[in-house]
Amino acid sequence: MSAAAQVTDSSFKQEVLESDVPVLVDFWAPWCGPCRMVAPVVEEIAEQYIGQVKVVKLNTDENPGVASQYGIRSIPTLMIFKAGERVDMVVGAVPKTTLATTLEKYL
Amino acid sequence: MNNPTQATDKSLEAMRHFSETYAQRTGTYFCVDPGVTAVVIEGLAKHKDDLGAPLCPCRHYEDKEAEAAAAYWNCPCVPMRERKECHCMLFLTPDNDFAGESQQISFDEIRTVTNP
Repeated sequence: MSAAAQVTDSSFKQEVLESDVPVLVDFWAPWCGPCRMVAPVVEEIAEQYIGQVKVVKLNTDENPGVASQYGIRSIPTLMIFKAGERVDMVVGAVPKTTLATTLEKYL
Repeated sequence: MNNPTQATDKSLEAMRHFSETYAQRTGTYFCVDPGVTAVVIEGLAKHKDDLGAPLCPCRHYEDKEAEAAAAYWNCPCVPMRERKECHCMLFLTPDNDFAGESQQISFDEIRTVTNP
């Protein structure tokens, strides 16, 4: 089972903005090649920071509302939310260390 | 029969052929992970079917029809043509850590990856 649950336009507020812990959102699309490369990295992060960080995925094709609201352009984009606010983001297929270093700042 | 989320065979073959030819012409290579190449070519072909132009599948657009008409992100996009920058990782310069050694991918290789 995937450690990173899918969120949608309708569940985003509850699952991300109202989360008690920081949230990493993986904005992805079905035919985006680099999204395939970053997906296992995101899964590893979800397992490594279990209990400390919530990790979710949002399909931008099916959920254009949230993607547009946060100005998503290049995908994959990995965005970090804390207390309902966007606090950081990383664009593209980045190595796990880059993502972990960015995330650590908000724990 | 095609999966409804996939491109037509005709568009997939057209984009597959374009990708091979363009890689050779620009001295760029496909990703070391052929799954990345396959997914991107399927996405380009799907956009060609739906929009009439191979709009980059690695971006989010407010309005896909308007973007296809504007042509900036139609493959090969302006950043690729000007600076060999392909954030989709379809065309990689040899110095890129993820560049493989191939400029070829078969129709069946693509569909093996993109079939559900």
